[in-house]
Amino acid sequence: MPIQTRRSHDGQCLIIEIEGRFDFSTHQAFRDAYEHSGAKVSNYIVDLSEATYLDSSALGMLLLLRDHAGGDSAKITIENCNNDVRKILTISNFEQLFTIR
Amino acid sequence: MADLPHLDEEALAELQDVMEDEFATLIHTYLNDSKERIASLKSAMKHRDADAFAKTAHSFKGSSINIGAPHLGELCRQIEKVGLEERLNDAPTLLSAIEAEFQQVTAALETLMAGSAE
Amino acid sequence: MDESAAENVPLNILVADDSDSDRLILKALLKRLGHQVLDAANGHEAVLHFQEGAPDIVLLDALMPSMDGMEAARQIKRLAGERFVPVIFVTSLSEPEDLAGCLEAGGDGFLSKPYNRLMIKAKINAFNRMRLMHQALSDQRDLTNERNRQLLEEQHVARRVFDNVAHTGCLDAANIRYHASPLSIFSGDVLFASPRPAGGMLIFAGDFTGHGLPAAIGAMPIAESFYGMASKGFDGSDILREINQKLVRILPKDMFCCGVMVEVDFAHNQLGVWNGGLPDIWLIRSNMEQYALPSRHLPLGILSADQFNAEMEAVRSQPGDRLLLMTDGVLECANREGQLFGEQGVRNAIESTSAGSHPFDVLMGSIKQFTGQQKFGDDLTLCCVEMVEETGQATLTEEVGLSTLAGPSQWHCDYEIRDNTLGEFNPLPLLLHICMEVPGLRRKSGEIYTLLSELYNNALEHGVLRLPSDWKYTPAGFDRYYSERTKRLNRVSGHYIRFSFQHDLMPSGGRLRVTCEDSGQGFDFQNHPVLQSIDVAQSGPRYGGRGLALLMRLTESIQFHGEGNQVEVVYDWFF
Repeated sequence: MPIQTRRSHDGQCLIIEIEGRFDFSTHQAFRDAYEHSGAKVSNYIVDLSEATYLDSSALGMLLLLRDHAGGDSAKITIENCNNDVRKILTISNFEQLFTIR
Repeated sequence: MADLPHLDEEALAELQDVMEDEFATLIHTYLNDSKERIASLKSAMKHRDADAFAKTAHSFKGSSINIGAPHLGELCRQIEKVGLEERLNDAPTLLSAIEAEFQQVTAALETLMAGSAE
Repeated sequence: MDESAAENVPLNILVADDSDSDRLILKALLKRLGHQVLDAANGHEAVLHFQEGAPDIVLLDALMPSMDGMEAARQIKRLAGERFVPVIFVTSLSEPEDLAGCLEAGGDGFLSKPYNRLMIKAKINAFNRMRLMHQALSDQRDLTNERNRQLLEEQHVARRVFDNVAHTGCLDAANIRYHASPLSIFSGDVLFASPRPAGGMLIFAGDFTGHGLPAAIGAMPIAESFYGMASKGFDGSDILREINQKLVRILPKDMFCCGVMVEVDFAHNQLGVWNGGLPDIWLIRSNMEQYALPSRHLPLGILSADQFNAEMEAVRSQPGDRLLLMTDGVLECANREGQLFGEQGVRNAIESTSAGSHPFDVLMGSIKQFTGQQKFGDDLTLCCVEMVEETGQATLTEEVGLSTLAGPSQWHCDYEIRDNTLGEFNPLPLLLHICMEVPGLRRKSGEIYTLLSELYNNALEHGVLRLPSDWKYTPAGFDRYYSERTKRLNRVSGHYIRFSFQHDLMPSGGRLRVTCEDSGQGFDFQNHPVLQSIDVAQSGPRYGGRGLALLMRLTESIQFHGEGNQVEVVYDWFF
């Protein structure tokens, strides 16, 4: 599976790990990852350490997650991006919407 | 070969079932065709035409098997082989056997028809 | 596939066998199964019946006089063309070579003698399933082809509609070079350029997420806002705000538009740049100095109006400077090995540009060399605009004939904006609109706009914000000027700018008197060099002085009142 989810110990953080290409083909799996996560989740981590590539539809999916997680009040951290992925997030200035580490 | 009956009763019963009213027509058609085929075989043998001989034997074989005359079908298979291998010298003996068997089959079929007509 | 459906449908079956008795049996068997039967005694007849009866399945005896089964099979398959008509050989052949010959002739299977009722039924059903599946597949393929053809046709029609809304504007101007595929809109790329009422241009390049119809639909309101607002004198920031707000409202959450807006001001030798999510814009100065202007904003259609920052970055420039903007397609060009052209490719191309060559040609050439292809994808958009002397530039000349309606000729109007509004609202389009109600002025929209914008900007920047115009003389001061402008605009308080219009009819035409007053301290207009001699203003790069000189050239008279915080100009027009 290119997308794995797990919970932090206190159950409040949903960690979504993406492996390989993060593009339109992962659309449904990515949605499923957070839509069925339940109400207790208060913050999200998108772990891109295994992601090799990210396209504009992936940016769109991140926006959907942000909307799902409360829009402007969403707490989402994008972690462990490789240089290419980081570059794409930077060009789009997504650091204004997400915490990027 | 001696094991093979003149007529396959079971196959004929099925044919009779399938053909219904046309069963008699089928038998007459077969008998007429077969007479013609025996004549053709003789003519091909006389003209030493192995190819025509084999082809006629092949058709004769097929229709005999289909009608439920397995022994005759087997004789036709042997004579087809003779044609294919161009051993027409071996043909007269077999052809006599075929004629004899055909007499038997004709008689048996006519008996069957007479029986079913009653 | 529904098995029972395949078994219950009566089929039209062609039977060819030279043996009358065999044919009779097969025919009877097939009729028993509910099928219709055409019969032939040789291959020749079989081909004729096939043409006339168009059977679904063909049963052929291999050895027949007057065209054998193999030749008949070949001809039947040829006649059937793309239609799949199963050809089954009924035979008592058993030699592998003979059987192989049947298959090579186009046969699909065998049925051996003696006939077996069950076998025949099963064979016919099996081949009928294949036949139906083949038909379903080819129907689907035909449907797909037809849909595809329809889609392409619709795209072309849509493209024509789109072109009417999103015409290329002034992209064909002499100082612009560009590449954009005619169908780029369906890959999400847009490129617009419009002259501004007072001269100068606005250019917008955009790249939608997603492809096809959604991207094209999203692009329509952008085109409408851009061209509609640009021609009315709105500036880049106003248009960006409008576009952003529209896109936020109409696009689904996961769609957005990366974009670049460029404001080209030839009169003041200035560029305004906003980049939200597109690759670096490159500025190549006439002396070959190069600067990258990276994306500093989120793409359009994501942030709500109160979070969106439409502030344009001001860039000082000179005639001969060139600005190169592009969409992602440029970076994503791939060579045969699958490597991407990338940022480095663009950088290398631009760095290799020499004084005699045009960066647009150099970059296009580099891409072609890299990809090894002459053709570009639909999603590659590239545009280069060059700064030129203002004279000779096409400005927006609206060919408006004199209206049959006389329009207002005797009128007066006061308009004042205060405090926060000074930083948030651009009153020029509205003021222009009021003046344009006069048919005689409508033909002069460019001059009127210039006049209004010079008055307003002078009042705002020098009067209200007290920015010294001489800062703009040096590159460092230029940046300071614009950052200070933004800072001061955010804390304006207790200030106003007041416009007063008076229009009267004259024997030969009309007279527009515009007074612009601001709450600033004014200036020593008695000793201003520009007001002493017009030659001084035009001799040096005095950005502050040029505006004033322009006003003097356009109007009948210019007068300063009060402390110099009140300017009155008189503009005459003639029938």
